[in-house]
Amino acid sequence: MAENKGFNCIGKSVAASGAWEKATGRAQYVPDMKLPGMLYGKMLRSPYAHARIVNIDTSKAEALEGVKAVATIKDTPQVNFGPMGTNEDWYIFAKDKVRFIGDEVAAVAAIDEATAEAALDLIEVTYEELPAVFDMEEAMKEGSPVINEKWPDNIASQKHFGQGDIEAGFAEADLIVEEEFYTNEVYQSYMETMCALVRPEKGSRLTMWVPIQIANKARLVYAKALGISPEDIRLIKPFMGGGFGAKFETNIHLACAVLARKTGRPVKMINSRHEDFAAGNPRVPIKYRVKMGFKKDGTCTAKYMHLVGNNGCRTVYGPAIMSTACYRIDALYKFPNVKVDGYLTYTNTVPTGCFRGFGNAQSIFMIERMMDIAAEKLGLRPEEIRKVNAMTPNFTNPHGWRVGTCGLTESIDAVLEAAQNRPKTEVSPGKLRGIGMACCNHVSGNRGFFPTFDGSSSLIRIAEDGKITVFHGECDMGQGQDTVFAQIAAEELGAKFSDVRVAEQDSQISPWGLGSYATRGTTVGGNGIIAGCKAAKKILFEEAGAMLGVDADQLDSRESIIFWKRRPEKSLTFSEVGAHYVFNHAGSCIIGNGYYRTGDPLPDPKTSYGNVSPAYIFGCHMAEVEIDTLTGHVDVVNYWAAHDSGRPINPTLLRGQIEGGIGMGLGWALWEDMIIKDGKVLNDGFLDYRIPGTVDMPRMTTIFIETDEPNGPFGAKGIGEAAINPVAPAIVNAVCNALGVHFNELPVTPARILAALKTRNKHQVI
Amino acid sequence: MKIPISLTVNGDKYDVMVSPLSKLVDVLRDDLLITGPKKGCAEGECGACTVIMDGKPVSSCLVLAPQADGKEITTIEGLEHEDGTLDPIQEEFMNSAAIQCGYCSPGMMIMSKALLMVNPHPTEEEVRDALSGNLCRCTGYQQIVDAVMAAAEKERGGE
Repeated sequence: MAENKGFNCIGKSVAASGAWEKATGRAQYVPDMKLPGMLYGKMLRSPYAHARIVNIDTSKAEALEGVKAVATIKDTPQVNFGPMGTNEDWYIFAKDKVRFIGDEVAAVAAIDEATAEAALDLIEVTYEELPAVFDMEEAMKEGSPVINEKWPDNIASQKHFGQGDIEAGFAEADLIVEEEFYTNEVYQSYMETMCALVRPEKGSRLTMWVPIQIANKARLVYAKALGISPEDIRLIKPFMGGGFGAKFETNIHLACAVLARKTGRPVKMINSRHEDFAAGNPRVPIKYRVKMGFKKDGTCTAKYMHLVGNNGCRTVYGPAIMSTACYRIDALYKFPNVKVDGYLTYTNTVPTGCFRGFGNAQSIFMIERMMDIAAEKLGLRPEEIRKVNAMTPNFTNPHGWRVGTCGLTESIDAVLEAAQNRPKTEVSPGKLRGIGMACCNHVSGNRGFFPTFDGSSSLIRIAEDGKITVFHGECDMGQGQDTVFAQIAAEELGAKFSDVRVAEQDSQISPWGLGSYATRGTTVGGNGIIAGCKAAKKILFEEAGAMLGVDADQLDSRESIIFWKRRPEKSLTFSEVGAHYVFNHAGSCIIGNGYYRTGDPLPDPKTSYGNVSPAYIFGCHMAEVEIDTLTGHVDVVNYWAAHDSGRPINPTLLRGQIEGGIGMGLGWALWEDMIIKDGKVLNDGFLDYRIPGTVDMPRMTTIFIETDEPNGPFGAKGIGEAAINPVAPAIVNAVCNALGVHFNELPVTPARILAALKTRNKHQVI
Repeated sequence: MKIPISLTVNGDKYDVMVSPLSKLVDVLRDDLLITGPKKGCAEGECGACTVIMDGKPVSSCLVLAPQADGKEITTIEGLEHEDGTLDPIQEEFMNSAAIQCGYCSPGMMIMSKALLMVNPHPTEEEVRDALSGNLCRCTGYQQIVDAVMAAAEKERGGE
């Protein structure tokens, strides 16, 4: 338990920033916005998975009354660009050919949505179908259709590396386990679909309102695509209806910009839910072949992984995700000897990208199933094999990752104890019960994502009334980042929490933040907030010291009152000092500009050696399931989650992140699956692609394993992605435990369960 | 061809010209700029656009605009009193962190309101049943269910 250092704001469950706006219907999201003269945009998407575009005739669409513009590749600079510098394989609209069903072919701007939609039907595109490839392994075979000419073997990226001596490791093993796994393609299912509102300004400038997790980096990519300078784009991120990794760069933002430029009017474009399923950024599905060696006591001696991921037809963040899947689990357990061969292939399917967990969620499913399989063969309990290999504090792993605080073993013990104390209930006839566990780790601020720099900064403004505004360049998408930043700022400044506001993310005023990914907000962003606050506090205290006739370093502050430590009655309020400063500096406010960056060099690109994150997070989940043997339906009846996220800054919001991760992981474990046939997403709506509802969710118990992380703000670490990582394997392990059957493929649907029960019953008869 | 309809939204009467095939959600959002109800799917699958029409919760994306003629509609904006005090449901959704991204929240709160109007003493199971058609991807629903239970208790306390 971390010691309570007498915090004022840290550790308090204050209501979330923006909650009042959202609770009253005032919060404005991009789809809610309407500007004078605004037009409505709609996208024409490819019905073919792979086809040459022979001709596009837009004349009939342009002639339709109410249509203001039709845009195609000809209206763009026609340069290749992309989110990852290694694989710049995007165009704003299809150039010469389409590569997946849903590819952006043209877009229409019209006076209303109905007209824009009617115009789409009038665009005449002549296609010449090309042979297509959909399977990630087929794509690598010789003679497969080439999707991107620069990558004739369809391999978008590959990684081959290792540490230790893998052969020696297998040689000393008492048990070798070899298994295959598959983690399927799933859709993030944020409630607000991808959308944009773009207003053309004078010259080449644009104002873009977009829900996006990485505003500043996207601005660089968009500037390149549009042939303008990044500062020509003012990018504003208003309230945002979820992201979960999907809301990174997307062509609908750019198509909207092209239409706005062409018409000279503001244009709003919103994906329909069907379009969003067909052309969002779903999870990278991965196939694994794994070989592991174990000693009798469960100690892992060697691990070899061969994995292939499906990138779709163009690159979002697939290479980084595949690379993460190759080795992030090596900070969950102490694997002495590891080797991996990873491939990511192009196929004629929807481009895949980030989804909470970023490759680690996939590999954690694999490794946590492996652990149970190995434990069973070795006659060990699931917790025994995990504890013997578990990461411990202050450990440097074979890849040079320096783990600081680590509450993994404590997390395992905590969920075990909670599960053991559960009220015993009768199992209904015809039903089987099982219990399963899974551990997880994650980074909290993965470095090298944007190679130019790493870190975070903030501007902290103290106005003449003593009120504080926090400007940051990260991204609150509903997870509570702004709230946590306000709490950190209030604590660091010694200010009243109610006096702190967090400014909307606007590239015109916000610092250049990297955004929300890699569970970096609290750790990296939080340190950036502290740095800005320190700079502001220095100015504030110097001014107060001069006013009081006391040295600034003799002052302290609490609840927005600055006082002399020796005689606290000698004091000034933030507003008194703020007003004095502003009116003695001709209107200049107190502004603190500070930054945080990790000092280490970035990991080596070839060997991947080097510390990748300032802090690491851990956890362990347990699930109890009840399975109906007639229908194959799985009911998750109990769920426990323990997490080491450092010192909790806002316990209620932290709990919300964990519970939300469990909900998302439960769907993935049991039924969520994008059914893609010949490149077409067949279940492209919430009727056929069901996500968990209120009645699917059990009551969940969350436990905080509090550590005091020296690299985190006030000892805190992140949570976002760690919350989903262990869910699918915990539930699947419980199902396997109930049925005595191994499932190595997601999701474990009723159909698969019934099939397994049939086989099992046959065995019993024999 | 457009036709005239009259509807009362949150106590205010509006006369609007609508296309016969347009949906209530679009009339509210695009014509009246009452953007509390959200459009998550436009096909009645997610519940984000739920409003109360003549006392009953409906998916406003499944209501043709002419069907709303003469009707009384309550959206999330209508739960707030004129003096700015909020409905206990809104208060408890804020207090229990039942709102994360907030996109499902207007529909979720309206559906909860509709439940408490007919059943002021719901069990947890009844709350979960009532909200089973309202999707939320952020919370895992526990803090939402807790918020509704707390709001029910608060309202009962005021009886």
